[in-house]
Amino acid sequence: MTTTIRALFLGVAAIGLITACAAQAQDKTIKIGALFPISGPGSYFGAQDKQGVELALEQLNKTGVNGYKFAVHYEDSSCGPLPATQAAKRLLDQFKPDVIIGEECSDATLAIMPIVDQAKVPLLNAGSSSIKITEPGNHWTFRIMPNEVMQGINLADNAYKRLNARTAVLLFENTNAGIGNAQVFKETFTKAGGKVLAEIGFGRDVNDFTSIATRVAGLGKIDVIPTYTLEGQGLKITQALAQAGVTKGGGGGAIQIGTIWLPFGFEQKAGKAALGYVRIVQFDPTDTRDVAKNFTAAFKAKYNAEPTHLNAHAYDQIMLIADVVKRGGKDAQSIRDGLAATKTFSGVTGSVEFDSHNQNDKMDTVHYMETKPDMSWTSLKWN
Amino acid sequence: MSDTAASQSAAVRRSAVLSRRVRLLLAVLAIAALPLIFKDSYWRTNLTLCAINVLLALGLDFILGYAGQLNLGHSAFYGLGAYVSTLLIVKLGIPFWVAFIVAIAFSGLAGMFLSLFAVRLRGHYLAIASLGFAVITYQILLNWISLTQGPLGLYGIAPPPSLSIPGLPVIDFHNAAAFFYLVAAFTLLVYLLLDRLVRSPIGETLTAIREDEMSAASLGINGPAWKVFAFGVGAAVGGAAGCFYASFVGTLVPDAFFVTEAFSILAMVIVGGMGTLIGPVFGAVLLTLLPEVLRGIGDLRLVVYGATLTFVVLFIPGGLAQAARIVREKLGLGGPAS
Amino acid sequence: MTTTIVLQQAINGVVLGSLYVLVALGLTLIYGVLVQINFAHADFVTLGAFAAYFFMHLSGADYIASIGVACAVGAALGWMINASIFAPLRRKGNELLPLIATIGVSVMLQNLMLAWFGPIPYAFETPYSNQVFRFAGIFMTEQNAIIITFSAVTVALLYAFMKFTFLGKALRAVSQDRETAGLMGINPNQLIMLTFVISSALAGMAGAMLGPVMVLTPFAGTSVIVKAFAIVIIGGFGNVEGTIIAGLIVGLIESYTTQFLDPGLIDIVVFALLLLMLVIKPTGLISERREENV
Repeated sequence: MTTTIRALFLGVAAIGLITACAAQAQDKTIKIGALFPISGPGSYFGAQDKQGVELALEQLNKTGVNGYKFAVHYEDSSCGPLPATQAAKRLLDQFKPDVIIGEECSDATLAIMPIVDQAKVPLLNAGSSSIKITEPGNHWTFRIMPNEVMQGINLADNAYKRLNARTAVLLFENTNAGIGNAQVFKETFTKAGGKVLAEIGFGRDVNDFTSIATRVAGLGKIDVIPTYTLEGQGLKITQALAQAGVTKGGGGGAIQIGTIWLPFGFEQKAGKAALGYVRIVQFDPTDTRDVAKNFTAAFKAKYNAEPTHLNAHAYDQIMLIADVVKRGGKDAQSIRDGLAATKTFSGVTGSVEFDSHNQNDKMDTVHYMETKPDMSWTSLKWN
Repeated sequence: MSDTAASQSAAVRRSAVLSRRVRLLLAVLAIAALPLIFKDSYWRTNLTLCAINVLLALGLDFILGYAGQLNLGHSAFYGLGAYVSTLLIVKLGIPFWVAFIVAIAFSGLAGMFLSLFAVRLRGHYLAIASLGFAVITYQILLNWISLTQGPLGLYGIAPPPSLSIPGLPVIDFHNAAAFFYLVAAFTLLVYLLLDRLVRSPIGETLTAIREDEMSAASLGINGPAWKVFAFGVGAAVGGAAGCFYASFVGTLVPDAFFVTEAFSILAMVIVGGMGTLIGPVFGAVLLTLLPEVLRGIGDLRLVVYGATLTFVVLFIPGGLAQAARIVREKLGLGGPAS
Repeated sequence: MTTTIVLQQAINGVVLGSLYVLVALGLTLIYGVLVQINFAHADFVTLGAFAAYFFMHLSGADYIASIGVACAVGAALGWMINASIFAPLRRKGNELLPLIATIGVSVMLQNLMLAWFGPIPYAFETPYSNQVFRFAGIFMTEQNAIIITFSAVTVALLYAFMKFTFLGKALRAVSQDRETAGLMGINPNQLIMLTFVISSALAGMAGAMLGPVMVLTPFAGTSVIVKAFAIVIIGGFGNVEGTIIAGLIVGLIESYTTQFLDPGLIDIVVFALLLLMLVIKPTGLISERREENV
């Protein structure tokens, strides 16, 4: 053969090989749509979710699962119903995912649920706490995070029984999550015989909590202060309460308790003020299970930072999907059925098994931590 | 006037009317075609959002561009329309279109109330008063949880009930295209109404007040009364947009009506071209679609949005309407001013 | 209700008021001279806070030096914005266009900061932010004491500047009647530039001082801007003495509403007061008379 013909033959063969591989890769990909807030203040969630997702993808795509690789496409849902609706429709129309993970904010999740329902694509949520997401019993929506009722009842019971609390002051951000969580605590606590001395809700634009702390200081003997807020305001509240002499960290007697988002590293910023803080976290960094330890090590290696529950949740969402694929899931319907049938999945944040409302009812996802005098976390084995 | 001059000006007027009719027909055809061109639900959502925003921009432009009143709080009327209609339907079981009319009337009255309150205020004082009004409205929607559910939100808001016109198939507004046609038809109607209003002696009165209220008063024009009127009309239109918004998204939270929304609507009017009717249409469509189209860019898309806003204002102060006029003149198409 | 609590809330109110005054001063200055609203002002404050934070953390310099850096950053920003946006638009005479332009700038700045700094709140610690003064049951952090002091000193200096120096009088002349001031040999454009630079430097300084107190994210500015506007109006546009009185009133409203009502109602009370002021005395608590020519 002449050089030209040989070259031509090789070229065609190469093209044929490449297209065959590409076709192979295209056939065997699970498409995951990710609806996270990437712009605006909600980007606090989206940025961390993305880290967890990318870590999981990196690990999974090294070998694939059951011959499948995973591809993720992000759309910005901005933590609000309208942008979430638009992002969801764009995702469904253009990317055609087999499964969707998201959103973080309850209003946004509730807004997109009818859309994924109509499109018959499963939605796996790990960030919204409102009971309304699973209570009506939605066929296509699954939640692995414990909801506000699971957390609230558990927290109030433990406050009453293990901490012997009889009086409480509720501090919460004026959002769906804040108000919802506070309401559940109040109902459970008062039903058990406790007394709620005050319910103080504040906007996300409050910077200085000295006034609120002053008011709390004037309320008499307080046993627990359930606090429902995000990291930034949470830090200010804890410091203000200590300055006002209300909490243990400031020489008082009250214990701050809570849920919603306070990541590892909070104590380093809050200092002495955080002493004695008891809270539910969805990710326990002292967890001794292999899956948690491996995750923490891998995360630190890739990002040079301690993982938060947001990273962990996102990681678990991808890993759970991979588990479903291992069990035979390959498209929207089979993935949905696979999720519903999950029985023995152990994620970084805890075990997963869905009840008849597609809510993960495993209570080992509710971890209790207390801040010790040396600012370290200990795990209280209350669950 | 000689015969030829009279018939010439009559001919000019006739051709102006004809040209307007032709343009109206073209607009109707374009609107009818849009959902047929854009078949997927994402783009139909965007089209409907454009229509709602056009409605908002038209209402604000009537107050701002035609009556010259500096209204920085249009989000209040938007939110009132949405919440009043939804609460009437959800809590009292009132039929959709009745609630719609009540909500529009409520918003209109709120606008008139604001205007009465601010009747002595000029310029920036009115601007801040309207901003204050918007903040207070938002805070009431947010804090009066027993009434509005506040941040907990209202969910599962249904679209208008299906229409059955004898001889035609039932129109179900769950269908994205049908819903778009409904909102677009309403918006077109409002546009035509405002167009009539602006061309009538009322329009001249408003212009007189806008340009120089004191001189207008010396002509016997009751400035305050007309300002109240303008606010009422503009606010009512904003309220209508709110009613459509509620069924459009199906979910209602107060954050949708935070004061920054008022600035977005203002931007649409300015960028489109204040004081014209076609301006708000351009501005609303551009500023609604721009963030969507820019999604491909990812993280920096809002930076580009902000930059676009700034540059349009810097270099084309009359907005897109002015740009369109310049282009038309350059191409020698100069027809009667719209 | 003990007197200690009432007194403590009064102190809290003064702290809050001083915080708002620092933000509002720059706004009122610009408005007084230019009759312009700068929506990006709060973002200058945020940027000042970040500038101070990074300066402290990257160079190990002390806090006071970083306040100076924040001032400089603010001044530079003000110069840039005036030169590129306000000056060209002033020639066009429309009062709304610069408003919209500043909205565009605000969106750009916030999202650029988001891209550079990310959404996770920064804990801006200074040697003063966790030290607490205690006296007869009342407490205040050293940082808050610094805020009150700086606020008072700045207002005093600004007031003296406006009333007694030549430049200050020239600024007031320009604000009252630009044309005539021009005829008197004052260059309005240079003065306007000076106003912007001073105002933005103030914003930067406010950021450096408020950074440790605020929840520091790219969106921190939006949490204070609307109240800052309210203070500017209640106090009287362009009026430095009025601003401090209004700021203190708003701060006290905030702390007492928190104590006796609910923090969620703060904005309603403040803005109801604002609307009331607009009806009774639209030119503000203390105002300079402006003639309106027919």
